[in-house]
Amino acid sequence: MDVLMEGKDLRKHYRTGEVEIEVLKGIKFQIFYGEFIVVLGQSGSGKTTLLNIIGGMTQASTGELYYKEQPLHEIDDQELTLFRRNEVGFVFQNYNLMPNLTAYENVRLAVEIAQNPLSVSDILREVGLENWSDHFPSQLSGGQQQRVAIARAIVKNPELLLCDEPTGALDIQTGIQVLKALQKLNREYHKTVIIITHNVEIAKMANRVFYLKDGLLDDVKVIEKPLCPEEISW
Amino acid sequence: MVMLRRKTWRDIKENFGIYLACIMVIALGLLLYTSMSIAVESMDKAQQDFYAETNFADGFITVTGYPENKVNSLTFLPGIDQAAGRIVKEVRVIDQQEDSNRYLKMVTLNEANVPQINLIQLIEGQLPNENQPEILVDPKFLVANHLSLGDSIDVSIDGNQVSLYITGTAQSPEFIYIMRNAQDIYPSAEEFGIAYVPLSTLKALVKEKGQVNDIVITLKPGVSFDSVKDSLQAELKPYGVRSIVPRKDQTSHAILTSEIKQIRTMTKTLPVVFLGVAAIILYTMLRRLIEQQRVAIGTLKAFGFTDREIVLHYLTYPVVIGTTGGLLGGLSGVALSFPLTMMYKEFFALPGLKSEFSLKYLFFSLALAFVFSVLSGVKGSLDILRLEPSEAMRPPAPGTARKTLIEKFTWFWQTLSSQAQMGIRDVFRTPTRSLFNVIGIAVVYSLMTVSWSMQNMTDLLTVVQLEQVQTYDVKLQLTEPSPAGAVKFALAHDPGVSKVEPVLEVPASLRCGWLKKDVALMGLSEESTLYNILDKSGRRLEVPHHGVLLSEHLAKSLNVKVGDIIYVESPLRRETLSQKGENLLVTGVVPQYVGLNAFMKDTELQRFLRQGEISTSMLIQMDSAEIGSMKSKYQNASNVSSIESLKDTGAKIQKMMESFGFTVWLLAILGGFCGFALIYNASIISLSERKRELASLRVLGMTPREVLRVITSEQWALYAFGILLGIPMAYGLSMSMAQSMSNDMYSLPADLPPMALLGAAAGTAFSVLVAQSRAYYKIKSLPYVEILATRD
Repeated sequence: MDVLMEGKDLRKHYRTGEVEIEVLKGIKFQIFYGEFIVVLGQSGSGKTTLLNIIGGMTQASTGELYYKEQPLHEIDDQELTLFRRNEVGFVFQNYNLMPNLTAYENVRLAVEIAQNPLSVSDILREVGLENWSDHFPSQLSGGQQQRVAIARAIVKNPELLLCDEPTGALDIQTGIQVLKALQKLNREYHKTVIIITHNVEIAKMANRVFYLKDGLLDDVKVIEKPLCPEEISW
Repeated sequence: MVMLRRKTWRDIKENFGIYLACIMVIALGLLLYTSMSIAVESMDKAQQDFYAETNFADGFITVTGYPENKVNSLTFLPGIDQAAGRIVKEVRVIDQQEDSNRYLKMVTLNEANVPQINLIQLIEGQLPNENQPEILVDPKFLVANHLSLGDSIDVSIDGNQVSLYITGTAQSPEFIYIMRNAQDIYPSAEEFGIAYVPLSTLKALVKEKGQVNDIVITLKPGVSFDSVKDSLQAELKPYGVRSIVPRKDQTSHAILTSEIKQIRTMTKTLPVVFLGVAAIILYTMLRRLIEQQRVAIGTLKAFGFTDREIVLHYLTYPVVIGTTGGLLGGLSGVALSFPLTMMYKEFFALPGLKSEFSLKYLFFSLALAFVFSVLSGVKGSLDILRLEPSEAMRPPAPGTARKTLIEKFTWFWQTLSSQAQMGIRDVFRTPTRSLFNVIGIAVVYSLMTVSWSMQNMTDLLTVVQLEQVQTYDVKLQLTEPSPAGAVKFALAHDPGVSKVEPVLEVPASLRCGWLKKDVALMGLSEESTLYNILDKSGRRLEVPHHGVLLSEHLAKSLNVKVGDIIYVESPLRRETLSQKGENLLVTGVVPQYVGLNAFMKDTELQRFLRQGEISTSMLIQMDSAEIGSMKSKYQNASNVSSIESLKDTGAKIQKMMESFGFTVWLLAILGGFCGFALIYNASIISLSERKRELASLRVLGMTPREVLRVITSEQWALYAFGILLGIPMAYGLSMSMAQSMSNDMYSLPADLPPMALLGAAAGTAFSVLVAQSRAYYKIKSLPYVEILATRD
């Protein structure tokens, strides 16, 4: 399999007030095209920071990161913005939809900056929201809002879909619907999906699982037979 | 970016109240700017055009009598281009009403063979025929006296009663603002007008034959008036020169020009105040919006929206507000310029004065609004650039917790309720925003203080002038300076008269270095009680035995102080070869609110003039029931030029003060509105920032009114700082306003009485209270359970 992304000795430290915290302490990994990866770890293990670095939301303090063999650690803010615009789709735990735009408009917002977008209506249908497109976020359930967020992330047709605790705010039934949508994108559209979570059950869906502990990649486990979302429960 | 634009519209719709307040503040500022700018430009243009069309004179000379056939020889004097002689005679209109007081200034029309200076513009009717008792009058006199073309007016000219027929109305550049003399303070078209009469007609009616008593001149290009004045003075001296006035000091021109200058200054200052307040509102609002939408900004960044796209999106808010305010203000300003110009036309008879739709000023107001909005928007939205997307997604780190300065005063701090402590701490924790709000409140407060103080002042001036300075009942002005004793004796024996005081008022030029001012020099007797000179605290001052007292405005114009020497000349002074004028010591500087005078002891002024014991008017204290009969007795007397009761003067002062009233109230109302908008904005921001805190307080069991105290404590703290800063600002503003509004007719003191400071504080507090009442209703309807259930 071809390597989509490669990280070498990634470190990240933050300064909070007068204290400096090292969140990532030297991480090395490879991500292949079309993989479904789950990153597991306790709170404070550095999952979100790693996802942010992979998604170009921030840059590592030291270390190297390559995407399609291009060095992301050497590019400036503007190029990083273009990387996010063209290559990455984000799904957040709290959806982060624009409250005064409808479901359709929230998805359409992403289309306006995309180079090669998909059809908004098709995507809404894919996530099962074709009848809810005129509703504002406040008129949708949590699961529906998260599916709008997924639709918004994939409508740009990105190579990489990054999801930060996508089921964290949802009940199990709704969570499974969202995971099904993500697996469908991975299997039918061949998008590389990375999910960070502390829900170990979700890891059963992945091709590989990254275990993060204290800012280090503690273990990488390959799952020979990933399960479907319906087969897991928590 | 259709979706982002849609987001903007919906955001604006959600907080429409505050955006509307901001739009209104911008619109008000630009309404003033556009309407006043158009009006002043129209006035300026009408003045220039009218002067050019009518060949308005550069100099105005009055003499006792100058041979008509010699007038042209004045052009042989270096610098003089044209000269035209006229007869100008003030006559009383005779009518049935006994105590009526109407006067016409008869001005002869240029004959065909003399240079055409100060041409008239015929407004209606036709020119009067030569040698016929026909006249043109100024249109305002015609209307104010309910006259029509073809009517006749009876006048008394040099003792002869003549009926003059009105053939038309006309306007001269010399009488755009018609006042009887510089001492008069307000035009009264009913009582005084201008009549234009053929020279041949008036010549036949006056005593002096073959002579003119008024000469107008134009200068050659590039020549200054001062360079020809001395040679004119020397040439005309034998003919009893009374005054030589350059165009800049000609009453009508000076008043019109000073009005234009005054409006121009206001167009530059007032809109800046309003736009400044609007900029503060926009800035704080945008900062808050960005804080509130931090996660949305992070999400947009995560999607790949560039910084430029996001900043531009957030700039749309101020641009929409600015453009709407600018358009609204510009268009309503253009509309207001029409009635405003008409209002000026009431005062200034400028034939070409009319307002026109001005794309230029509409564009300027739009551009001004745009620039102000974008600047405040850029300042407010630059923080977006500093936010990294991953950082933007997290809630902001709590602000550094530190005790505020005010908490060191523990005795004070402990007396405050928890709500007040929360509110006051917030003032210090958002210092930039607090500072802007304090500045805004200070501006509003100083505007209100000045308008309040001007209202107080104008009321006070009327009272001081009519009850303490001019304490006479009737003033009788003599045609010629006359021996004081005889007139005084005659008047003292009239029925109802209890006291008569002669006064000597003569035209004089006061010089100090290159500074010069032409004023009326007033000679008062030592024991004068009918005209009083007061000091700053209202105490009566004695006229000094030697030297001269100057009014404050005059001393300022000449840049002199007590102890300085000024050089004084008067056309009424009998000169010696060596001494045209005399150096006089400035012995005092006194406040004078109405008129512009220098004062001397009467005997000292008589010594200076070398004309013996003369006086020019009589101040009379008498029984008010007898005033009517005194008027009818003297108004036809050939040696009496006018007789005016204090009631007439009072009415004129009152009318002048009323004209201030409008400006003053407008300022106060506009200031109040700005204050409301500012505090309303601050309330909305506090509410949205603290909704979780406030919701917690509601859940704890506090009433909406108790919760409101958190917000009101912050605002009263800002208010207190605003007032503290506003006091020196008000002094500065008051000084510059007094300076720009004072002229030779009246001068406004720059004092701020305590009542003005207190009154404005109350006015500002009122606008704060109104804004807070809006906040109260928002707190009352706060969905506190939902707020606490959701994440920020």
